[in-house]
Amino acid sequence: MVGDAEPGVLVGKLKDILQYSVKDPLKYVINWGRIYSLWPVHLETACCSVEWGAVSGPRFDIERWGMLGAFGSLRQCDVLIILGTINRKMAPRVRMIYDQMPEPKYVIAIGACACSGGLYFDSYSVLPGVDTILPVDIYVTGCPPRPEQFIQGLVMLQNKILSSNIR
Amino acid sequence: MSTLTISVGPQHPGSGHFRLIVTLDGDRIVDAIPDPGYVHRGEEKLAEYRNYIQNIPHFERMGLHDANNMMFAYVNAVEHLMDLKVPERADYIRVIMAELNRLIAHLYYTAITGIFVGHSTMFMWPVGDRELFIDLAQMIAGQRVSYAFILPGGVRNDMPEEVKKKAEKACDYFEKRLVEYDKLLMNNPLFERRAKGVGILTKQDAIRLGVVGPALRASGVKFDVRRNDPYSVYDRLDFDIPVSNDGDTWARVWVHMEEMKQSMRIIRQALKQIPTGPVKVNLRGQVRVPPGESFGRAEASRGEISYYLVSDGGRFPYRLRVITPSFRNMIAMPYVLKGMVLADMPPSYWSLDYWPVEADR
Repeated sequence: MVGDAEPGVLVGKLKDILQYSVKDPLKYVINWGRIYSLWPVHLETACCSVEWGAVSGPRFDIERWGMLGAFGSLRQCDVLIILGTINRKMAPRVRMIYDQMPEPKYVIAIGACACSGGLYFDSYSVLPGVDTILPVDIYVTGCPPRPEQFIQGLVMLQNKILSSNIR
Repeated sequence: MSTLTISVGPQHPGSGHFRLIVTLDGDRIVDAIPDPGYVHRGEEKLAEYRNYIQNIPHFERMGLHDANNMMFAYVNAVEHLMDLKVPERADYIRVIMAELNRLIAHLYYTAITGIFVGHSTMFMWPVGDRELFIDLAQMIAGQRVSYAFILPGGVRNDMPEEVKKKAEKACDYFEKRLVEYDKLLMNNPLFERRAKGVGILTKQDAIRLGVVGPALRASGVKFDVRRNDPYSVYDRLDFDIPVSNDGDTWARVWVHMEEMKQSMRIIRQALKQIPTGPVKVNLRGQVRVPPGESFGRAEASRGEISYYLVSDGGRFPYRLRVITPSFRNMIAMPYVLKGMVLADMPPSYWSLDYWPVEADR
């Protein structure tokens, strides 16, 4: 609600009041506002991005659940969607992208490769799961997952946001 | 002359991870150097630790919306070394699946072309129509995109009979839609201005650089592996090879559009000609490849894909070299992009149909 960098005593007190008196209803309202306006950065690393095309297309249309399918600048986005394999050349760039996103931010790892390395678990160039470099909120498994699973992953993320504390 | 060097990518919206180091003079591109390798997964090395069946899902994942064509060339190489003759029905089912995949891949291409020229209706329509053909492929192979369907010695399972009726219906519908696409994209004055005469790849350059697939045919060279080196039953089917002499962005998109019509023609003929019978040779559970070397090629949706297989008679390939069409088209990028304004770069870059996952292997 109120950022850490806010100076001044009044604001600090306001933060305390908000936290102790109206914490729960406010938390609900803020989180409710967040869950239907998720802006994704999709890192179309590998083959799962083919199914992302279907998810943002007319049949599955992820915008019905409150996530944009289209693009935006990553400094305005709050969900990082990792679609597929991350290799050793890409890993520092992924971390750089994550660091540039503003708080609060969430990460969805999609596909067996992003979750655990998948088919390429013994490759010399592939990371064994993206959680070795980033904190991951939701894992969507499958190689590639069906579009329904993408949507299930999104709904799981929304439930997680709704039950989490405001930052 | 002072120039500015910028990096386009590697977090690339639209088509996987890939970096172009672009040198600009004002607004004009002086030089564009591709920097691939952000999706390198070491497929060739991994192939030496997996047996011939386990390699199938691996090589499919190089171009997932083109999975059957990726496998077609590999299976051609393996079957050539095993001296294996597949049943005729299996050959026809393979061709049907390969052409369905070509339609799926070309529709994806059209959709991303729409994104890159800022035309979001042109993204939504092809992605919606693509589901028709995905449904057909799903009826035959049981999966949406990754089929692992073409195996050495035939195909995994037989095709249900309802496919014939449904495919006819889908082709009839889609032919009407292609007319709409022409109105919406190809004859759209906005797209014509951004694509006609932009990003020209001359015939000499295309031959010299070894460009393959629709990019080559848009530059005026009539080369298609299906016709020039026929595999499977392509020599029994009647289809045209669309060729344009312009070599610009518009011509490359046009070749994709025309190829979709030809793919539907092939599917219709194959469904009429398909005989009954078995769909696979019983290999008794294991693919045993005798020592030797073989070369298999096929026309994937982006161009010619070829595999060079060396076997020492063991369970695993001794060496498997893959040359993918995207990798061969990447070298044309500096020649295509040189001299255009930066704003024209996205559609011209994508018109080469560069798919980093496939190029990096």
